[in-house]
Amino acid sequence: MQAEILARPAASVAKLTLQRGETVVCEVGAMLAMSSGFSVQTSAGRKGGGGFWAGVRRMMAGENFFLNHFTATASGQDLILGPGLCGDVMHHRLTGGSLIVQGSSWLASGPGVDIDGTFQGVSKALFSGESVFWVKCTGVGDVFLSSFGAIYEVPIDGTHIVDSGHIVAFEDTLQFEVGKLGDSWLQSYLSGEGLVCHFRGTGKLYCQSHNPPSFGKLLGPMLYPR
Amino acid sequence: MTTTATDFEILTRPDFALLRVRLRSGQKFFSEPSAMASMDPGIALKAALKGGVLGSMGRMFAGESMITSTYTAKQAGELMLAPGAAGDIVHYRLRGGRLMVQRGGYLANSEGVNVSAKWEGARGFFAGQGLVLLQVSGEGDLFFNAYGAVLALDVTSDMLVDTGYVVAFEDTLQYQVSVLPGLGVGARAKSFFFGGEGLVVRFSGQGRVWVQTRTVNPFLSWVYPYRPQKQRNQ
Repeated sequence: MQAEILARPAASVAKLTLQRGETVVCEVGAMLAMSSGFSVQTSAGRKGGGGFWAGVRRMMAGENFFLNHFTATASGQDLILGPGLCGDVMHHRLTGGSLIVQGSSWLASGPGVDIDGTFQGVSKALFSGESVFWVKCTGVGDVFLSSFGAIYEVPIDGTHIVDSGHIVAFEDTLQFEVGKLGDSWLQSYLSGEGLVCHFRGTGKLYCQSHNPPSFGKLLGPMLYPR
Repeated sequence: MTTTATDFEILTRPDFALLRVRLRSGQKFFSEPSAMASMDPGIALKAALKGGVLGSMGRMFAGESMITSTYTAKQAGELMLAPGAAGDIVHYRLRGGRLMVQRGGYLANSEGVNVSAKWEGARGFFAGQGLVLLQVSGEGDLFFNAYGAVLALDVTSDMLVDTGYVVAFEDTLQYQVSVLPGLGVGARAKSFFFGGEGLVVRFSGQGRVWVQTRTVNPFLSWVYPYRPQKQRNQ
């Protein structure tokens, strides 16, 4: 499979070229355009979907219960995938281990990758500005993620601080805890950062430049009541 | 009628595309109303029903305004045009062929180009974008716009595009709207009812299709929960 990310960073899409027999699993609704040589299956369970409860957990993580499987029936078939909101798309190569992805940032992955929902704890969910369930990608293969705004990579060896709402994904060799910024709760509050995520370990972290709730809260008061 | 090429440049692509046109003295140019961002004072702007009342109504059914803005350069000057939504602008040179443009996609054109509406019947309806497409013909320059970036895809055999993402296509292509093929009956129902790739346009033949990389609807559904709630006692 060859992958190319086009129209970066605000309206990015992934253009994948598949050879005969290769499969890509993606969220329902991600397909913009494709060559005619694909067979398509919608499922919650088959090929990395993980069954019914995995579907439920994915749904809790802000993804669709169903997944679409695109299998190329001829060589050199193009598939163009994109997220719904404005922002970037990025490619991560999994070589064993797991990638923990923020709900709704998972876009697509290759057949060697299992996609499941994972629970990161209630306190983290309440205070990190992220959802209760995250998407856990495990295995060997390609993973495509989407972000709100631009996406940037932070290699961590030790500790790092990320504001809530800016996490896209992180390798599971990293752990995070939710806490205050610096020594004082007052400073943490006044800086407008509130609670932040303290990462610890060695691994890759992907962040997004913008945080959807901040933009939503900016737009909301200007809209007519619903 | 052959027209000379328009002197233009598309700036700040793809997210905030702007069309800059340099008009010669006496040259005319046309756009959808309210597309003008700035211009030199030697250019006169006049709004009118173009193509008569019937032609204008046709454009209205294709999701465009009945009014067309006409720019006439009394002196040579520069004109800046921008679409309402943040997104890409595409230039297409018409050489006697025809281009079909989706609802709302028209931005501007030079002299020699005819913009009219074409009833597409049920095919248009299933495309989810209204029953009428804009049909552009003649010889000259056409500019159309979209939400997000625009990708030009060359169809050599068959290509399937989600109905919401089609911006324009050459009418050398045949097209048909269908449920995403390859899905079993149950999967079709799932795909159809649970959103997503329910309906696609299958293009066949030789020609070019332009697709946008985003649609407005996901943004609207995302922003909805942020709207304030109505007070009960009001």
